[in-house]
Amino acid sequence: MPQLTYLEAIRQGIWEEMERDPSVFCLGEDIGIYGGAFKVTDGFIDRFGPERVIDTPIAESAIVGAAFGASLTGMRPVAEFQFMDFIGCAFNQIVNMVAKAHYRWGAPAPLVIRGPSGGNVHGGPFHSQNPEMWFVHAPGLKVVCPASAYDAKGLIKSAIRDNNPVIFFEHKYLYRRIKEDVPADDYIVPLGKARTARHGRDLSIITYAAMVHTALEAAEILARDGIDAEIIDLRTVSPLDRAAIMETVKKTNKVIILHEHARTGGLAGEIAAIINEEAFDDLDGPIVRITSLDSPVPFSPPQEEYFLPKVSDVVREARRLQAY
Amino acid sequence: MSKNHKGKKSSVHKATASNGRGTPTSPEADSSLRTYAIADYRLEKPVFRLQQVHVGNEVKYTVTGDLTAPVPPLRDSKYLDKKQLIEIYRWMLLNRRMEAALENLYKQGKVVGGVYFGLGQEACSCASAYALRPDEWLGPMIRNQGSLLVRGFSARDIMMQYMAKAGSPTKGRDASSHFGDIENRNVVAPISTLGDLIPVLAGVALGARLQGKNIAVMTYIGDGGQSTGVTYEGLNFAAVQKLGLVLFVENNLWGYSTPADMQFCVKDLAERAIAYGMPGVIVDGTDACQVYDAAHEACERARHGEGPTLIEAKMMRMKGHAIHDAAEYVPKSLFEYWRKRDPILRLEKHLLDKQYLTPQQNQELIAGVEKQLEEDRDFAVASPMPQPESAVGGVYCDVACHEIKPKYGTPKSSVTKSGVVTQRKEAAVHLK
Repeated sequence: MPQLTYLEAIRQGIWEEMERDPSVFCLGEDIGIYGGAFKVTDGFIDRFGPERVIDTPIAESAIVGAAFGASLTGMRPVAEFQFMDFIGCAFNQIVNMVAKAHYRWGAPAPLVIRGPSGGNVHGGPFHSQNPEMWFVHAPGLKVVCPASAYDAKGLIKSAIRDNNPVIFFEHKYLYRRIKEDVPADDYIVPLGKARTARHGRDLSIITYAAMVHTALEAAEILARDGIDAEIIDLRTVSPLDRAAIMETVKKTNKVIILHEHARTGGLAGEIAAIINEEAFDDLDGPIVRITSLDSPVPFSPPQEEYFLPKVSDVVREARRLQAY
Repeated sequence: MSKNHKGKKSSVHKATASNGRGTPTSPEADSSLRTYAIADYRLEKPVFRLQQVHVGNEVKYTVTGDLTAPVPPLRDSKYLDKKQLIEIYRWMLLNRRMEAALENLYKQGKVVGGVYFGLGQEACSCASAYALRPDEWLGPMIRNQGSLLVRGFSARDIMMQYMAKAGSPTKGRDASSHFGDIENRNVVAPISTLGDLIPVLAGVALGARLQGKNIAVMTYIGDGGQSTGVTYEGLNFAAVQKLGLVLFVENNLWGYSTPADMQFCVKDLAERAIAYGMPGVIVDGTDACQVYDAAHEACERARHGEGPTLIEAKMMRMKGHAIHDAAEYVPKSLFEYWRKRDPILRLEKHLLDKQYLTPQQNQELIAGVEKQLEEDRDFAVASPMPQPESAVGGVYCDVACHEIKPKYGTPKSSVTKSGVVTQRKEAAVHLK
């Protein structure tokens, strides 16, 4: 089985979907001859032509609006955002025009908005954000945050085939850092289904995106202490896989929720509330949140390191929770 | 001449010869003074200025300009025959009288929320939408209820929207003109924020083109709404991609309570077209013939793949922003001026003068519209409100609810033989 990076896996997924379905096309800034700021669509224009790989003006609202319009005629647009930080420019189109369309007037919007998000690359306040919660809060959207190369390919293919608008957050820290076996053939990973990234008995770490790898590293250290951590990779953050969350809570009775998103209004609060409502009696200790700080993402490496959740934070909190 | 204009094919210039364009008229390319042409179809070109002035202790709007000019006749249409003109007249009557019925329903407490009127703008809504073919698309704004009627929705549909009935096009989920139909009528539902339909309609044209068909797509924006950033983004996108967008800029002089003079500084909003690199046209929005002719020419350009057109239609909003707004900030003399230019009275006179309609036929036509409205109103009033639980569901499109398939045929694909991803050299990896 060929080894692919996270980035190559996304590229292969989109490529395969464009090969199998002529209604799939890409639009975005600098995605054609240049191949995109991160080279996700490198070579696409040569293969699929400039009609299906469209370089747009720097106009995020127009990109989303045009993608939605094209989707109304039965196309499946894949819109690239150069950085997901810039999605604020298209916010109204996404949450008011696109997200509400099916509920209001029965118009499906089979489009994907994808691009790099996340920190730990010293990108500063405008190239490092995790804006997924802006969209988790908007009914009608699906929000996907893959953590592995295998999932990234399978999830982007599912996202393109889905009849709903999908916001696909690629973690740029993972783009070229992780490399793993990825089947060269056609497979999908379903949206809305979490996976167990590590099976364990003692406590659960519910997480997604780059933090899955932080959790895995922490679990190795904890294992040496005899603490057996289970890691749930949510993969899709909206809609949430509630069944997977309940299953792991009932199994370990201790929960840490870990994410790179800021603490206030982050997904951890929502998951904690769901567990409180549906599995309070199964808990043997407090629900623990490990998140970034409630600040913009700082630029300077020492500051950014301080801002982000670290392996040592997870180890410390897991030991504290294990004592209950 | 700008680089963009040089790059365009000569066919663009030929096809737009009767349509005005944002191209320099000077024959000397190296001239230091460039002038641009905007086609103005109007038979009268009133110049008004609205200013805020202190009158005693109050600040009020005053209007300056010639408000006593006589009303010109309609411009004869280059394209419409007698039958078509009568059809447009009928749509305009239905539009007007449906809104009058809605006003009554509101006063009877049967309307949920407000009522938005297109009074004085019926020619712009109806004659523009009339230029589209059934397989083309339209995105209405709040006052374009007439456009929805022309696209095949009934007065009953619109009334049920206003009354939040279970049988309304959105099943009670949204109000007013906020509905659409992607299956048959090809209408995109508007949202309340302004200008957002412009890139969406451009995208509809893009989708159709990817499926091998150039279509005209039409939407509207007001003198107030055109101030938004998404208006610029959408128009520029349509221009760069040469998409068949027909944008009516409905200059009705008021954005809620703010006059056009406080919304923009250009003389005519059609001038904006020059900077987008698309033809700009001015029409009298109360003259159905001018509106139709400009719309028809713009649609033909769109169908020939020649790109978007911006049409400014000048008229006045003859009521407040919505039913709650008495529009007392509007100078009375301005209402009087435009009341003499009522689009329906003007078209009626045109049809009678040309003997396209006898007074008797006209009365029969009006009676037919009234009868239809009465039936629609009675049906809408008697129809049930939605069940409370119907608030649930439909947030997502399930696999079973829609089959997504290209509307105009299999998308064209120019896949090259090479299956190899050609990796281009990078100087360095961006944000490693």
